[in-house]
Amino acid sequence: MKRLAQAVSLTGQPEAFAGSVMNSSSDLVARTRQGEQDAFRLIFERYSRPVLSFIYDMVGNREVAEDLTQETFVRAYRGLGALREEAKLSTWLFGIAKNVARESLRSRARTDQHLDLDHEAVLDLSDREPVPVNQLLSKELNALIERSLAALDDDKRLVFTLKIFQQCSYEEIAEITGFSISKLKTDLHRARAEMRKRISPYVRSWS
Amino acid sequence: MKCDDCLNLLEEFVDGELAGDGLEQVNNHLVICQRCSSQLESMTAEMEVYARYDRELEIAPSMWQAIAARTVSESRAVDSHSPRGFSEWFTGLFTAPRFRYAFSGALAVAVIAVVVGVMYLRTHQQQPKPIDVVAGTHDLVTPPDNTGDMTPPRQSDVIKPAAGSDISQVKVAANRNPRVMSKAPDDPGVLYSDVAYSELAERDTAEHIKQSENLLRSLRSLQATEDDSEIDVTYEKAMSRRLLSENEVLRQDAETAGKFPVKELLKDLEPFLTEIANLPDKTTATQLRELKDRVQKTEIVAALVSYDD
Repeated sequence: MKRLAQAVSLTGQPEAFAGSVMNSSSDLVARTRQGEQDAFRLIFERYSRPVLSFIYDMVGNREVAEDLTQETFVRAYRGLGALREEAKLSTWLFGIAKNVARESLRSRARTDQHLDLDHEAVLDLSDREPVPVNQLLSKELNALIERSLAALDDDKRLVFTLKIFQQCSYEEIAEITGFSISKLKTDLHRARAEMRKRISPYVRSWS
Repeated sequence: MKCDDCLNLLEEFVDGELAGDGLEQVNNHLVICQRCSSQLESMTAEMEVYARYDRELEIAPSMWQAIAARTVSESRAVDSHSPRGFSEWFTGLFTAPRFRYAFSGALAVAVIAVVVGVMYLRTHQQQPKPIDVVAGTHDLVTPPDNTGDMTPPRQSDVIKPAAGSDISQVKVAANRNPRVMSKAPDDPGVLYSDVAYSELAERDTAEHIKQSENLLRSLRSLQATEDDSEIDVTYEKAMSRRLLSENEVLRQDAETAGKFPVKELLKDLEPFLTEIANLPDKTTATQLRELKDRVQKTEIVAALVSYDD
């Protein structure tokens, strides 16, 4: 009967099977807390890509980012009982991912993190005139952004990534980072300026 | 609004964070100011560049497998620390380092004492004795007309009072150890059954049947507009797989306990769970309709509902 002890109780959720709309964050969290592994798998499927992208932007290394994403979800599973507002699952997950990424960055030299950028080899634009963005090869553009991101300090990269790539609100960024709104606005403004400075020599519309 | 004020707010404007008067003032200013409008265009172009950023990352299936392996092993570890049943607790006494030898020795002495006591009573008793058991040694009683047989009967054994024996004696025995025997209230074919089954397995079975009923109902409510359209049944499949493994356990339990109507109901349910579990993730409307027709035709949902009632 051990298997049954882990069964999901649907008491009070008569509409729980009514199609995919039932899979709200709150519902998935509740079901995961009751021991339903499939619910946690759905959480993973929904959030693994943004979490992996975010961590990759923070650490700049594909393999490290994959390991840290795995670690993020394991910690999330362990800590799900402490999540107060289930609707803010994504914010909470990004908060864990931020901690995991920062721990990793602290434990490694920053230079080690970014020396092996995946697109390093294809980025050789130094002697080229600025071109319209649509004339840049995709790999060139990716490498340009990655290198520019890597050059930002941790706080600026964190805020910039959450706002520009993950489309978080200022309020959400403040929750994830623990920064005040005024600090994150300042960091974001400076990050934008630094990114512009690094990218504009290669992209005509930015010149 | 002056240009400096507008430019200071432009990032918030692009980020969609501006509201109220500030938003209105910036909007009004952008209509009349070429310089600020051009700055806005530049920032919008930046955002378009960032939107083209592709990290070319893929989520490898091995990532979830690794996470599942770690979380499942932790769940099991938690389970092993959760409250256990009597049998696990009892077994644990023999494996706990502090009690391993002391408890085993004490139990051996107790068993010897009981055996000697029983033998003494047998040789001296002249009148039929009430049925009795040694608590903790076996679960069911020795039939009153077979006092010479020391072999504990199997859990599924049905004990009927022998002709001429006093039913009140049986009740006394049951009262001494209520876990041992009780009247099965819902099955006239079985006079006595294990209370442990009645209370635990019946609750699990009721829960299981309710969930199965909900699953079949939700399947019936899935709609598709065209025959060749695909319907995502990933969740229903996953749920069905879990219910299927439960179903097997509960069906066997019901059979062992002599709960034949329950066993038959679970047996009828099993093919549907198997079929749903084996559906493709994206099933066609035709497949789904055939399954729904079978659900309808066999009235399995009605049978499940009647169990709830």
